[in-house]
Amino acid sequence: MSSGSPGFFRQLPSALPGLVLIVVTMMIIRIWIEPWMAHTKIFGMSKPLTDAFHLNYILLGIMSGMFYRNVIFGGRIPEMLVDGFRLSRLMIKTGIILLGSLYTFSAIIKLGVTAIALISAFVVLTVLLVLWLGKAFGLDRSMTAVLANALSICGVSAAVATSPAVEAKASHVAYAIATILGFGVLTMFISPFIGRELGLSSMQYGAWIGTGILNTGQVLASALAYDPMVGPGTALAVAEVWNVMRVIAIPFAVFAVTLWYWAGKDAVDSHGNKQSLGSLLVEKFPVFVIGFMAMVFLTSLGAFGDVGVESGHSPSAAIMSLRVTMQWIFGFGLVGLGGFIDFDELRQAGGAPFRLGLLVGATKYIVALLIVLLLRQYFV
Amino acid sequence: MRFGNIVVAVDGSEVSEGALDHAVYLAVDGHASLTGIFVVDSKWPDFIGNDWQSARGARQGFLDYVRWEQEEQAQLARAQFSLATHGMDRAVFTVHAGDPASVLLAQSANADVLIASRRVFQISGRPSLKSLAATLSKKASCPLMLFP
Repeated sequence: MSSGSPGFFRQLPSALPGLVLIVVTMMIIRIWIEPWMAHTKIFGMSKPLTDAFHLNYILLGIMSGMFYRNVIFGGRIPEMLVDGFRLSRLMIKTGIILLGSLYTFSAIIKLGVTAIALISAFVVLTVLLVLWLGKAFGLDRSMTAVLANALSICGVSAAVATSPAVEAKASHVAYAIATILGFGVLTMFISPFIGRELGLSSMQYGAWIGTGILNTGQVLASALAYDPMVGPGTALAVAEVWNVMRVIAIPFAVFAVTLWYWAGKDAVDSHGNKQSLGSLLVEKFPVFVIGFMAMVFLTSLGAFGDVGVESGHSPSAAIMSLRVTMQWIFGFGLVGLGGFIDFDELRQAGGAPFRLGLLVGATKYIVALLIVLLLRQYFV
Repeated sequence: MRFGNIVVAVDGSEVSEGALDHAVYLAVDGHASLTGIFVVDSKWPDFIGNDWQSARGARQGFLDYVRWEQEEQAQLARAQFSLATHGMDRAVFTVHAGDPASVLLAQSANADVLIASRRVFQISGRPSLKSLAATLSKKASCPLMLFP
């Protein structure tokens, strides 16, 4: 069962049809549909799609991907297009690396201290809550371990990273993933509404969704849905610092939960290799985080000119073109990501993992919002 | 009613026992050929396609792990089929990779009857496999017998 990722250049010819569909879709959205939405009148209301429904190119992009898969293609992406849709993962990783150009080290440390404090508190408390609820719901240790990491760090990636180490059954993991994705899709669409109704600043909104939304793909989408601009101080810039902190936590959390799992096991399983932290870091640490930090380093050195935050000057031409590039890359990537949201899988999720996931996910989402509201003077 | 060519879905769990026992009964009674099918679900890379940030090692490690689990399930299915068809001449067990619904539909295209449990392959599968029986009911080109 190969992941089908033989390398970018070898994959490119087979990816072209899917890429063309993604690129054309996003171009139509940005060149025709967005301007049309910004000027149209429906039932006497001026610009209802943007003002009332807060639709923008990001939400339209994800909805297009979901529409292609679930309506036009009848539940599966055709073989001819699937490689192109898979490349959306690479696009988003590239976008995140380029996002490093929004920050200097001093800015990232300023944001990072708050992020580390909030993320650490939420990761530890969520893990403890899930371990306790897992027992109360009668889930087995492996399922509880997967849910603990998936609900506390970053959804699907954490579930994927944890499952083999704790011998979780694939069918259980599938239900956990479907629950997380379903909850994520819901929060991705409702968060911008809530944020606007509460009058949250970009910093407050980014801190909230960076902590409260389970799956990091949906953190990205929700941030851009709130504020489609890419620049320092936008919801995206804040949420992604939170996101990167969560991603960095994956190998450590896998290690901790694996220790918990094996501590409660009587026998050593045939596949029960208790991996060291070192091997987990090599195997599970996402390399794009290093790219992101390298970009922050280069930006701090002034390699791309003035970032336009601390100096008060306009950003350099290089920085401006990087930001425009990022908007397009995220737009393309999120059309592709929408193509992997299968309503049939989400609709049929259920059972105890679903109930526990929903309970913990909703608790985390609400508590994160309450904390941000309570401490809103610190998030400005 | 007698059948000459019977296909049965087997997943090695107790869920598929009822369907398998009835398929064996029909095959013995009608001197029919019996094909047991296990499907290794190949839709997992697509199912986790939404996960954009996993390291390559983590993603492949997970897919290998799922594959290993399904291969173990295939061995259980083979043993279950062998035990149920012990002494039968015209009984064959096959393992396929693909989408379980598509494989069962394709493999039963020339059969006289397809027999399956409503919950077959859910033991190692994705949530949408809950609707496998409904898909077979809609699309099977041969008669279909569904067991609880």
